[in-house]
Amino acid sequence: MSTFFFAVSDLRRAHPVLTRATLTVLFTSIALVITYFLDSVTNFNLATGAAYAVVILGLSFLTGASGQVSLGNGAFMGIGAYAVAIWSVHHATTPIVATLALATAVGAGVGLLIGLPATRLRGPYLAGMTIAFALAFEPLVSVFGTWTNGDAPIQTPLLSPPGWLASLVGQPTSSLTTTNMWLADISIVVTGIAFFFMANLFRSRTGRAMRLVRENEVAAELAGVSLPRARVVAFMVSAAYAGLGGGLFTLVQGSAQSSTFNLALSITLLSLLVIGGIGTLSGALIGGLVIAYSQNWINWLEAQTGVSSTSGLGGNLKGIIFGLALILVMLLAPLGIAGTIRFVILQQFKKHPISRPSQTADPQ
Amino acid sequence: MIRIAGLSVSYGAVQALRDVTFDAPSGTVTAVIGANGAGKTTLLRSISGTVRPVAGEIDLDGTRLIGKRPENIARLGVGHVPEGRGVIEEFTVEENLRLGALHGKQKLQAGLDDQFDLFPVLGERRRQAAGTLSGGERQMLAMARALIAKPSVLLLDEPSLGLAPIVTADLMRTIKELCEDRKLTVILVEQDAMSALRVSERAVVLHVGRVAADDRSEVVAADENLKHYYLGMTQ
Amino acid sequence: MDAFLTSRPIGDLLSGIVGGTVIGLVALSLVLIWRATHILNFAQGAMAMFATYIGMTRLQHRLTVNVIGIHFTVHFNYWWCVAISILAGLAIGGITERVLVRPLYGKPEINPIVVMVGYLALLEALAGAIWGTIPITIQTPFSFIDWQLGGKTVLLSPNDVYRVVATLVVAIVIALLFRFTNLGLQLRASAVAPEVSRLLGVRVGRMLTIGWILASGVGAVAAVILTSSSFQQPLQPPVMEAPFAIAFIAAAIGGLESPTGALVAGIAFGVMEQFVTDYLNSNYVLLIALGALILVLMIRPQGLFSKRVVRRV
Repeated sequence: MSTFFFAVSDLRRAHPVLTRATLTVLFTSIALVITYFLDSVTNFNLATGAAYAVVILGLSFLTGASGQVSLGNGAFMGIGAYAVAIWSVHHATTPIVATLALATAVGAGVGLLIGLPATRLRGPYLAGMTIAFALAFEPLVSVFGTWTNGDAPIQTPLLSPPGWLASLVGQPTSSLTTTNMWLADISIVVTGIAFFFMANLFRSRTGRAMRLVRENEVAAELAGVSLPRARVVAFMVSAAYAGLGGGLFTLVQGSAQSSTFNLALSITLLSLLVIGGIGTLSGALIGGLVIAYSQNWINWLEAQTGVSSTSGLGGNLKGIIFGLALILVMLLAPLGIAGTIRFVILQQFKKHPISRPSQTADPQ
Repeated sequence: MIRIAGLSVSYGAVQALRDVTFDAPSGTVTAVIGANGAGKTTLLRSISGTVRPVAGEIDLDGTRLIGKRPENIARLGVGHVPEGRGVIEEFTVEENLRLGALHGKQKLQAGLDDQFDLFPVLGERRRQAAGTLSGGERQMLAMARALIAKPSVLLLDEPSLGLAPIVTADLMRTIKELCEDRKLTVILVEQDAMSALRVSERAVVLHVGRVAADDRSEVVAADENLKHYYLGMTQ
Repeated sequence: MDAFLTSRPIGDLLSGIVGGTVIGLVALSLVLIWRATHILNFAQGAMAMFATYIGMTRLQHRLTVNVIGIHFTVHFNYWWCVAISILAGLAIGGITERVLVRPLYGKPEINPIVVMVGYLALLEALAGAIWGTIPITIQTPFSFIDWQLGGKTVLLSPNDVYRVVATLVVAIVIALLFRFTNLGLQLRASAVAPEVSRLLGVRVGRMLTIGWILASGVGAVAAVILTSSSFQQPLQPPVMEAPFAIAFIAAAIGGLESPTGALVAGIAFGVMEQFVTDYLNSNYVLLIALGALILVLMIRPQGLFSKRVVRRV
């Protein structure tokens, strides 16, 4: 096991991008194969979770790399969702790749606009501004009512899975099993690509510069990092990822409605980031899975405790859990799940350093 | 009087004070001198409680000061005029003084009258924002703000910093008079060793956190070796 | 004169000031906390909402107390409920500072943001869980019917006057407290120079708690005034979200440091809200406020009323 670990870490040092690409393809393929064995509901949850994971990846970059907090990423997700919904209503035949690229671009564009003041704003101001943006999203959709259908949902045309997938599953193309597996597969591939790009960005010159901004702004400035540009770029990247995730979300859900993308969603996204672990990419994936399954868990919790989902307590269970989670994780374990695991592993390594089999062999 | 015994302070790996021991009797000015980084400011901060020592005792007339919060030490009658004076620039002169008198031992009005007698210029500027005062006036305000509480101990950190020599001389004379009139325990930290030695009865020389000498001020002033090696003064 | 008072712009101005008082008070409470602890309290609105629920759900209730064999019955009228709401607001502020905020001092900037956002979500969900999400309309002892002048309506009712007067009273009390009392002196000193204040015997930790208590009390008054409007703004868990967002924008435009600036900007935004709603569409209110914030911060990042602060290494 440790031999494999060191082989990978040596390879990583020598060819970082190539290693990451290989690992991404490897894990994505494994995930794709797994979807074949999952039931339809699980695949649908997985697809939804993947869409959220993409959004959280972007948030992770913003917070982890530049130390800013955004409570507007639910709204940026909505921007991407509406971009996809409006586009696909009029151009149903556009390839998925193009539709999602559009969502990403629109997210980035609006992100740039909203992020411009980020050149000047410090943490709490920016966070406050993004809260205002999150609250302004629903009115914004209403203002453009002629395109967005106001606060009523836009139904998007159903995606039709390719024939080969249907024959592989052995069910008709239009069946729920095939469709949900197709959605899960698309989402996994998109998440894989998004993850790959983010991992490279995190470790690129830009990413390192931004982490320097987070650690020490003055030092970053002295080292020649342009603070305003670093902040806006981080904000834009996170908005672009939110747009992409929102677009994916619409494809999976088959509709877009403004009330989905409210402040509570933004808060949920932030809590997923914090629970998963700020500044870790695996934390984003954990966060995505947590949200995808949270409704199941809450249903289970309600069934166990006998709380009706229509009662005051039942309807607010999610808010109570996520609110508490945000507070407790931040006060007690600010590294989050992925960060804590990494910390524990590092501590273990310090205590019991594993000797490297090849290099540390007897020098004679 | 203040008794300091075996005082050690660390900032992480850096040890700022090692086993510092000396007494500062009341009614006398005790000068603490030494080069930059000798630990002079750390010493004062330990007395007023803003720095937690790792070992040692500080005792004020029988009361143990170690472990007490700075606000409680201040209420016991320890007035600390910090380096750079610490006047609140947004406040008026009078508000600064009011703040100083709040937890002190005399009525506000009597205290104000006292201070304006001592420093008439402050009386003239009582409604002015402290940020508009000159360096010397700020030093007077900071001193007045500490004195208005009727402290028994006065800790002065580099009062002469940035002042013209003539203003410094005036200030030193005032410190000396106050100390004698009110039986104050004054601990005076100074970079300008000569003027501190002139005003003080006793002097403690600090060198990289240790007491290098503790004697009457005339003796320290006359010791050429001490001056040469620890105070960087050459004839 | 009558025609002037009943004209549409004057009507908007009057209603705008009434609505703006709430925004101004929330902005004021944000500034109070910001100045004292340099934390932007994202849960300010939610704390105020929660306090108002605690008080206002007593409305119409009665409480019988048995004191040495004699029964006293208290009918909770509007004023009792206001008093309970404000007391609850003060208490919530103190508890929040001691339990949630105290561990956050000196931590990275992001920690308090995240915790206060979590607190916001928690309080709204808790309020929904305890009191339900059905909006509660609150009747005050004052008439909601607008005055008439020469057969036309002036957009102002006795209840509106009560709301404006209540705001002014709170603002003046806070101003007097800060300017002229020893407590106010220590509160201000602890905010601008905590180290020096400690050396002068000020219990800075206690002052921070008191600052939160006061700010939370002001917030509770704002929420009470907002919801004391019958069907216009009934009490419900997210009722303070939009006022908080606009109040934050107002406070940020004022520079977050200036209490007067926050109050004035808040009232100005209330007037803007009314005009935009009347002449355009209420959907534009937050968008315009957001645009104004972006614009102001691009030109003057430190806000309109604050001096530039040089950040130290």
